Amino acid sequence: MRRVVTVFAKELVDTLRDRRTMLVTLGTAALAGPIFLMLIFNMIARQADRARDVTLPVQGAAHAPALIAFLERQQVNVVPAPDDYEAKIRAGELDVVMIVDPAFADDVAKGKAATVRLVYDRSRDRARATIEQAETLLRAYGRQWGQSRLLLRGIAPEVGNPLNVDSVNLATPQQSGALVLFLVAYYGLFASIMGGMAVALDSTAGERERQSLEPLLMTPARPIEIVTGKWLATSTLNAAVVLVTLVGFWATLAFAPLPPVGIPFLFGVQELVRFFAVLVPMILLLPAVLLWVGTRGRTYKEAQANVSVIMFVVALIPMVQLFMQRREPDWIAIVPVSGQYALLNRALRGEGLPAAELAMSWIVPVALIAIALAAVARLWSRESILAGK
Amino acid sequence: MIAADGLAKSFGKRGAVQAVAGVSFTAADGAITGLLGPNGAGKTTLLRMLGTLIAPDAGSARVDGLDVVRDRYAVRRRIGVLSDARGLYPRLTARENIRYYGALHGLGGAALDQRVDVLIDVLGLRALADRRAQGFSQGERMKTAIARALVHDPHTILLDEPTNGLDIMSVRALREQLRSLRALGKCLLFSSHVMQEVAALCDTIVILGKGRVIAQGTAAELVEASRAVSLEDAFVALLGSGEGLM
Repeated sequence: MRRVVTVFAKELVDTLRDRRTMLVTLGTAALAGPIFLMLIFNMIARQADRARDVTLPVQGAAHAPALIAFLERQQVNVVPAPDDYEAKIRAGELDVVMIVDPAFADDVAKGKAATVRLVYDRSRDRARATIEQAETLLRAYGRQWGQSRLLLRGIAPEVGNPLNVDSVNLATPQQSGALVLFLVAYYGLFASIMGGMAVALDSTAGERERQSLEPLLMTPARPIEIVTGKWLATSTLNAAVVLVTLVGFWATLAFAPLPPVGIPFLFGVQELVRFFAVLVPMILLLPAVLLWVGTRGRTYKEAQANVSVIMFVVALIPMVQLFMQRREPDWIAIVPVSGQYALLNRALRGEGLPAAELAMSWIVPVALIAIALAAVARLWSRESILAGK
Repeated sequence: MIAADGLAKSFGKRGAVQAVAGVSFTAADGAITGLLGPNGAGKTTLLRMLGTLIAPDAGSARVDGLDVVRDRYAVRRRIGVLSDARGLYPRLTARENIRYYGALHGLGGAALDQRVDVLIDVLGLRALADRRAQGFSQGERMKTAIARALVHDPHTILLDEPTNGLDIMSVRALREQLRSLRALGKCLLFSSHVMQEVAALCDTIVILGKGRVIAQGTAAELVEASRAVSLEDAFVALLGSGEGLM
């Protein structure tokens, strides 16, 4: 036990002296929150602004005065469309343009369906809100018009409109802003691999590359004692990096002048603590896995290449979950990464953390930590680790 | 006291490379025993087996009566090894590098500090004791590694080519150091491919070639056995060529 503490203390001092690596790791962790949140909030704010005051360039407004009056009553700013509107839409300067068919009045008089044309580029994300709003308004106008025609003929509007769709959105205010939630959870999870990487690789593959592993293994310290000390040191630094990342998100949300986007979004001190609690199994597991990967590498560089595979998996799992859309099956709670990601989402939606599920999320990581550390100890007692130099 | 009996070790697929092929010798307490052989003779592999780092395929070895395989950890407490790999931690100072190994050997507190101080003085590390190992020259690194190997005051000391990279002054200082350890009754085993080095220092010489013991004895015995005029001629005669020795 004393030897574990010795190794732990030495690795901690050794790493803290590597000032450049520490600065980069902690700096990235601290800046992640502010940068991501600024970008996303500004994007949301821009979309919201566009949706609020719609400007609709119209060609041939004179052909349909009633429609134009309706739009203006709905707070739409109707302006004449420029002649080169198609080019301007392609260039992204205009979101959508409405063309009133010159035969509009004639068709109406003849009792035929009149035509307006919406011109837009659906592939542009930023235009989507404006396009949808224009479509919705035109559909509403069409419905209103039809209903008044039916009424004129003494027919109840329900005859032509048998289905009444009433949308009830169950998302609480905290459940909106899903993108922001996703990013905070995602980055929190990611921080738990970034924080321990440099130390884990330096104290395994780096130790082997520097030729200091062989003398270390010739001391009376058992391999399992050595790897446990290294694991504790890596986990400690990892925890610090995750904490810095989370505090970065929290501080940005609490104090930064973010544009008001109308998403009542909770990431206060309580969420921060819950987040950290959920991430603890990952903070402990990933260093163990990284140490194992590092031990298998002959050089720091080789180990680094192998680690990118783990990073890919950790980064990919939440993505798959995001696109899966279906409700998560119950067993996902015990799968590392997935389980944590699901719990993080719950914590962010303000749902609270059931102790039973939190405990479940520990089972597999604890087992994997034991396996990984034992595997490192076993590799270190193998001769091939020395033969490879 | 080291007693090796028929030690053998091969590497590679199905033992393609026979590094050590049945080596038997003893190294007495209060004496410096030299392992002399050209590069690739099996010196490092032999020292690694005696240092309990790798297990022999056949044969056995005892350090003060303790088996190097079965009583591995007890042996480790009794031996100090300067192995072929002697990397330091570049971000730790010389003192911290030495201290770390002392702590791993179970030392601590004032006793450890005192021991580290003694070694720093004895090896002439005073000027760089509190500098980081990052910028050390090869000789400075070597001295630190030797101090590290001796931190727990081991009774048996294995040194794999300890004079590599040392300048002549340091080599002389190291020789003095090894002689004083011998005077304390320690058992020293010293490997080298430099004949003069071994001749100047060792009480008994074990000549290794292609993983086997070619001859062993005092310098005088070796000269006599080979019917040569000088020790150098004796080595060349015993090994079949002077290649790899200098």
